Amino acid sequence: MTTTKELWENALVELELTISKPNFNTWFKDTHVVRVEEGTVYLGVPSQFARDWLSTKFHKDILRSLRGLSDTVRTVEYIISRGPKKNVEDARTVPAAPSELPLENVHAKTNLNPRFTLQSFVVGPFNELAHAAAQAVIRKPGSAYNPLLIYGPTGLGKTHLIQAIGNHFRVNAPERKVQYVTSEKFSMDYVSSLQAGKVQSFKEKYRQYDLLIMDDVQFLAKMEKTKEEFFHLFNFLHDSNKQLIFSSDQHPNVIQNLEDRLKSRFSAGMILSVTPPDHESRLAIVRTKASAHNVILPDEVLEYLATAVEGNVRELEGALNLLLIQFELRGSEPLTINDAKMLLRGASNATKKAVSVQEVVRTISAFYGVEEHSIYEKTRRKEVVRPRQMIMFLLREDFKISFPTIGEKLGGRDHTTVIHSCEKIKNDLRSDSVLTSELNQIRLMLK
Amino acid sequence: MKFETNTDELSQAVATAARFVERRANLPALSAILLAAENGRLTLRATNLECGVEITVPAKVSADGIAALPATIFAGFLNNARGKVVSGSLVGELFKVETERASAAIKTIPHDDFPVLPRVSAEKSFTAKSSDLSKAIRSVAYCASLSAVKPELQSVLLFGEGGKLTAVATDSFRLAEKTVPLRGGGSTPQLLVPARNAAELMRILDSVGGEAEVYFNENQLSTHVGNVYYTSRIIDAAFPNYRQIVPKTFSTEAVVLREDVSTALKSLSIFADKFSQVSLAIEPAKKSVLLSSRNPDVGEQTSTVRATISGDELTMSFNGRYLADSLQSISGDSVRLHANGPGKPMLIKDAGDESFFYLAMPMNR
Repeated sequence: MTTTKELWENALVELELTISKPNFNTWFKDTHVVRVEEGTVYLGVPSQFARDWLSTKFHKDILRSLRGLSDTVRTVEYIISRGPKKNVEDARTVPAAPSELPLENVHAKTNLNPRFTLQSFVVGPFNELAHAAAQAVIRKPGSAYNPLLIYGPTGLGKTHLIQAIGNHFRVNAPERKVQYVTSEKFSMDYVSSLQAGKVQSFKEKYRQYDLLIMDDVQFLAKMEKTKEEFFHLFNFLHDSNKQLIFSSDQHPNVIQNLEDRLKSRFSAGMILSVTPPDHESRLAIVRTKASAHNVILPDEVLEYLATAVEGNVRELEGALNLLLIQFELRGSEPLTINDAKMLLRGASNATKKAVSVQEVVRTISAFYGVEEHSIYEKTRRKEVVRPRQMIMFLLREDFKISFPTIGEKLGGRDHTTVIHSCEKIKNDLRSDSVLTSELNQIRLMLK
Repeated sequence: MKFETNTDELSQAVATAARFVERRANLPALSAILLAAENGRLTLRATNLECGVEITVPAKVSADGIAALPATIFAGFLNNARGKVVSGSLVGELFKVETERASAAIKTIPHDDFPVLPRVSAEKSFTAKSSDLSKAIRSVAYCASLSAVKPELQSVLLFGEGGKLTAVATDSFRLAEKTVPLRGGGSTPQLLVPARNAAELMRILDSVGGEAEVYFNENQLSTHVGNVYYTSRIIDAAFPNYRQIVPKTFSTEAVVLREDVSTALKSLSIFADKFSQVSLAIEPAKKSVLLSSRNPDVGEQTSTVRATISGDELTMSFNGRYLADSLQSISGDSVRLHANGPGKPMLIKDAGDESFFYLAMPMNR
């Protein structure tokens, strides 16, 4: 298939030289090869105007350049057809009857990103509670959990989840007015309404919604006046049984400068946390995202991606995008695990500045509270073994020191001991989230 | 090339052709009108590759020839021309045009690049009175969407069944359907004509009158009325199945005088907010419809319209412009409003005429 496409592209390059630019732009735009059969090239053109004109005016030029590029071409036929890409789009938009698009979509933009849907949300042990709560809110808006607050570190799908709830209502219950704002946008709106002396219309605007989704409410804490306005809005919507959904990076009780009255109001509904995903969930996320791009990557590459790129889902997505673009550039040639390793060298956490072995030993033994010299001794006490294995793992993974060297530096151990330790930690990391967070903290300390 | 012809006829033909010209054309020839003099007549041709037109004007031709002239300049000159007779001749690169009191020399554009107009074979066609076809398009075309995201909603749908031609357009917020009688060619498949092209067809039909036989294939539609040949691209897409969303039963029905509502909407629009929101309260007990609009920055207005009402009391909000638009397609004295409660579309009809209906989605509040 690529050859017919290339054939036409090469022909176009040639034709562009012989035909004036306006003519070329007018007539050869949106042309493509539909198929080639027994020496006949079927050329797709956008309209009958183009078909008639190409066949009367440019037929000879087209045929000549196609023949010059391929001996097998004998004739050219013109078909009216739009590009393959557009047809796909049409198929999706056809079933949209007017009733599905009522007025409020235009009059009050929901601000929702349609990309965030529940279907594309990967559920794992780390976020299943939040997901279940979202489902409950969808079933019984306003009464199940009101307000719903989801908190957790950045890049774990909080925004995705809360927008997905909004999108669900936008599609399935368009009569409900849904609005998504970030707390920053809310505050800007409020300030500009103050300046313009239109506080009343600001109040009315926000009080009309049936479902209000506010992202990153922790920022409200710093803004005194906005906080007060938010408090009144909260009361109004909550009293009229309108669903409220919030996200925050911390539990509201630990957000500084947040009044007790707001804290207690947040607590009235449901507060849930999302935690960093475990290994299986990360794998599932990578798979879902890759298939959303219609790309199938080898399992070992996905596995490597899920292991190598630690941290949040957003970073995982970024690393995956890096692979996808490479995949596109290569065309048909498959990506191997080595390519992936090369590509992700910059993205993964595996690059570290040079640190002396002593420093690593000092930091980690201090972290675990063991005597530094006990690491070098031949003891097998449990509280020493784990830190020692961790040291070996870090030296190997982050600093790329060879197995024999590590063994030698850590009290003259055999290199197989080191290999075993590294494998042990690597395996434990997959299931043990405590260990993962320890590792992350240590890495931070070593930076 | 050398010819003489009637000034008014040429001026009118050029003005019509000029509307088909591409304003910001890549190809200079597309900003031109092609003028061909042969066999005792003058043929004008213009196209923007979306639709095209060819108009013949009787002329005294003393030398055959072809020239492409920039449309705006040629039309501008003729627009201000006086006198009965205009003569034209081609001298090298210049086209000399002369009327009783004025003469001009217009620089021509190379006409080799001017495309041919697609011809549609006469196999499939339908016939209607020009005025009917024009009325069908006029009654719905304003409902077509302005956004290019969905080409099928940017178009007017035409189809024929049971001896009737139906025209439909929607931008997904409101929808209008108009049915007119067909003279020939009973069943016609769904043809999606871009709304802009349909508007041009309408103007041509209005100026020519008589009967229009419209030929079509799956890509192109064309018609020959009077001295004009018109052709337009047909959009290759599926129009939504709109019949399924037209409600059949109603909880509230009100009959009002068209003039009353029209006047009320006009003055309400002064007070409407930036979404042109007008609220409509149908009050059976008071036998009236209360229309109101409100803009926090301006003020508010209410307006009562007497009505005959059956069914429940009801309050809904609409875009006032959408309501006003529907009235321009209704010629009868009274208008029927059919509603099914908040959040459901309202059906607007001419009380004495079943050939037109208009469906408007309410606003939320």
